[in-house]
Parts: sequence; C-alpha cells; structure tokens
Amino acid sequence: MTNAQLDTPVLILGGGVAGLAAAVDLARRGVAATLIEREPRLGGRASQFCCKATEACARCGACRLGELLAQAAQLPQITIYTAALAVAAQPQNDGWQVDLAPQPGGEIGPGAGRPLRERTTLNTQAVILAVGGGAFNPAGKTRFGHGRVQGVFSALELEAMLSQGALGPDGLAPAKVAFIQCVGSRDASLGRLWCSRVCCGYALRMGRVIRKLLPDSEVTFFHMDVQDYGRAWEDELPLMRHQMRFVRAMPGEVTAGDGGPQVTYALAGEQAQKEGFDLVVLSVGLGPPNGASALGELFGAAKDDDGFLTADGGPAGVFVAGAAAGPRSLNESIVHAGLAASAAAVRVASLTEARHG
Amino acid sequence: MRLNDCDPGFKHEVAAEPGGAGIRACFACAACSARCPVGANRPAYDPRRIIRLTLLGRREEVLASPLIWLCSSCYSCGEVCPQQVRFTEVLTAIKNIAAREGHAPPSAKITAELLAKQGRLLEVTDFENDKRSGLGLPPVQQRPEDFQAILGLKPSEGEAGEEPR
Repeated sequence: MTNAQLDTPVLILGGGVAGLAAAVDLARRGVAATLIEREPRLGGRASQFCCKATEACARCGACRLGELLAQAAQLPQITIYTAALAVAAQPQNDGWQVDLAPQPGGEIGPGAGRPLRERTTLNTQAVILAVGGGAFNPAGKTRFGHGRVQGVFSALELEAMLSQGALGPDGLAPAKVAFIQCVGSRDASLGRLWCSRVCCGYALRMGRVIRKLLPDSEVTFFHMDVQDYGRAWEDELPLMRHQMRFVRAMPGEVTAGDGGPQVTYALAGEQAQKEGFDLVVLSVGLGPPNGASALGELFGAAKDDDGFLTADGGPAGVFVAGAAAGPRSLNESIVHAGLAASAAAVRVASLTEARHG
Repeated sequence: MRLNDCDPGFKHEVAAEPGGAGIRACFACAACSARCPVGANRPAYDPRRIIRLTLLGRREEVLASPLIWLCSSCYSCGEVCPQQVRFTEVLTAIKNIAAREGHAPPSAKITAELLAKQGRLLEVTDFENDKRSGLGLPPVQQRPEDFQAILGLKPSEGEAGEEPR
C-alpha cells in the first residue's frame, strides 16, 4: 500500500501556542503550512491553563490560545491534522520527506483541524519543531509528598481545579494555601540546573486568584528568590507582598498532619518549624520535551546542555519554536514562534527563488 | 557588624579544604536548616547561619563557636540540598581549620586520643572476641598505627596493642 502524498512549504510539529503562532505568522506572510498535532485535540499545555485575571488582566497569556485557534481556522494557507505523528524523516536536496502516521483517538472537534486518516508521506522545505516542554513530575521530589500526602497538588493540578471552578465559594474552600517554588528547577540533585522562568509568575498569579475567590484565605509563597515574571513586575511585586506571605526558605519536607499537609521550614535565625496548610501546591518547572531524543534522532536536531532542542548546529531547514527550545511563558513562546516562522519563510523564499531563477 | 571585622578570604580558605568547595554553591535556601535534626533540638544550631557567617568572613566567630561541633553527620542536609553543597563535608572542612587553631572541644581531643591508642573508639576486649569466636568469626585486631600516622603521632613501642597482621 502506498502512502498518500502531500506537499507543503513548511511542516510544523505541535499544535500548542508555539505551533499555532508559527502557522498564523507564516500564513500572514503568504506561506502555506501544514501543522500536525499528535494528540486528538489542539492546544497543548496552554489548554490546561486558567485565566488569572483578578481586578484586571494579569497578562498570563492563557486566552491567547483561543485567539490563535480562531485565527488558524480562518486562514486558508493553514492545514491542520490532529492525531498525527511524524514517524520517519529523510533529508532531501531542498527539504525533508516526512512520514506521518495516524494516532488513535482522533475526533473531529469544533474549530481548526481534522484527524489524519491514513499514513501520509509529506514533502516539505522546512520543519518547525514546536513540540513544547515537559512538565516536571513532582513525584520525583518525594520529600514534598506529592501522591503520598493528601492535600499536596502540582501547580498543573491547581490550574485544572481553578479552570473547572473546583476552588472557590461553591467548591473547595481552603483557608491556608502554600506554594513551594523551584520544584524540579534549579536543583543540582535532579540534574536540572535551569530556572524554569514561568513558575514565579504562575504561582503568584494563582495566589492572587485564590485570594480573590476566597478573601479570607491565606497564601504563603515559599521561595529561594523571586524571578521576574514579565511586564510591570516591579510595580506588582510590592502589592503582592501585601496580599501574600513571602517566606524566603525552601521547606525541608511536607508530611501528613492531622488536619492536612504540614510544611517544615526554617526562617532565618529561627528554629525549624512545622506549619499546617489546607493545600500545598508544588510549582513544577519546565524541562526538555518528552521524546526530545526521538525527535532529535528523527530530524538530527541538536540539543543544548540541558537537553532542550536547538536549531543551532542542526541540519538545514529545521527550526525550533517555543518551550521545546527552553523554558518560556505562553507569550514568550508566541514571540519565539514568530522568529522561527520568519526563518522558515526566508528559507522557503530563497529555495523558491533558486528553483525559478 | 563592621565589614572591617570580616575576613573576605575565609570562604576561600574553607573552599580549599577537602570537602569545603561546596560552600561556593549555596543559594541560602535553608532547606538544610529545615531538615536538620540537631537544629530541631538545639535552635542555635543552624546550618544556613554557619554558611552565611562563613561567606561573610566572620572567621573567629565561626571557628571559636561550640556549635560547629554539634553536627551528627546524618547527611540529611545533603539529601535535601538543591545545590549539592554537602554541608556535612563543608562543616568538616571548617572543623579541621578550627582544630588546627586549637578550637577543638575536649571531647574531640578525647576522641583523637582513643583513636591513637586503640585504633577505634570502642576498645576491643576479650569479651568481644570471645563472642565473635562463638559465632565462628575471626578476632578483631586493634591496629592503632594507621591512626597514629594520620593524627601525626609516632606509634610508641609499648602501646602499639596487638601484633599487626
């Protein structure tokens, strides 16, 4: 059986904000692109995130996924396949030949994209890897009790709880919430030396959302130091210090107490103490994409010292966009995708010129 | 605290000792202090404070402090440290400097004397070796010469214990 054939100037792997932003950017430049997503649905990590506006927009970027999906659905230059996986790739004279295989579970949803139905061979001039980053599994930090101590959640689980309305006057009403930062970031014992760059921002924003939903709640922020999380940081941070308790100490452990999880920590000049909370949130960091090695082998993409994908030193015609290339917020991933799209468009234009000129 | 009273070279001195280099990596996150079982019982003992005082160059305050001898070497601090500072070993480096400058507490001196005399802290007597032979185990020999060499003491003729193997 021969595969279906498809030609596209640019192939984009990954249907999260970075992949969608690259596709939209290319389309606006008049360059057609095919985007494939291995999951049945588009959206990637961003689809798990809740809006973090309180009195005003918190610029978290969660809503930009909706904008990008709507734009991608309306631009005729963009073809999207969901439930599609790149299983083989061959470099060609002026591009790549990529074999796509359909994945189970593809269903036609509203908006952009339709599931890939058959094995397809696709010829393209440029490939953009926009497969996103991997979230740290907090079970790897056993002393913080995730999966073992009731009331301990990862920040991704809190995102889901907030977006489903599980927290608030009609749902759970925790009085005391603790965030523990740098779980899976800046940790030599895990071999993860990088700052994930997004966790201070999302934790402080979610802390504010909790304080707004439940005005009587107390939010404690255990950290080593607060990293810049974007625009207006210098103005926002002093306000947040009034809304939340900032504790500059990494807890030693989280254990099960009578009324909920207990956090052991030491303040400067004070004896270590145990404090009970209703909810302990582990601010998990970003890491290299799951399957980075497989993708690297497929397209010969290089990896940096931390294991993130990089276009530097890789083969011609392969570009990397978004959190696959390093820890990035949603807004930063969208900007980064624009750069990858620009580089891919330049390549397509020069190849076209060479062919016709 | 006056900066003029601080010795900026102290941290480098500690880092140059065996095991001391980890002090360069400390983030001062206090995970060690939170997990330390000694600090849980003796509030004045605080690993983060010892590291900060060392980095600040409070040389005499650190070396003369009786607190630096309280570490139980349980390595809990090393287990939780995100920076692999290995505080137990950093503290050993600090204690070695302190001992050279005459700050070792009497208990450390007694310990060294026992090692020099017996080659171990527990004196092995006929009681232990009788029990061992009952279990079919060979007798334990005390070999203090190695420790005497490490401690810079010459083994004296009459006190060398049993015959070396």
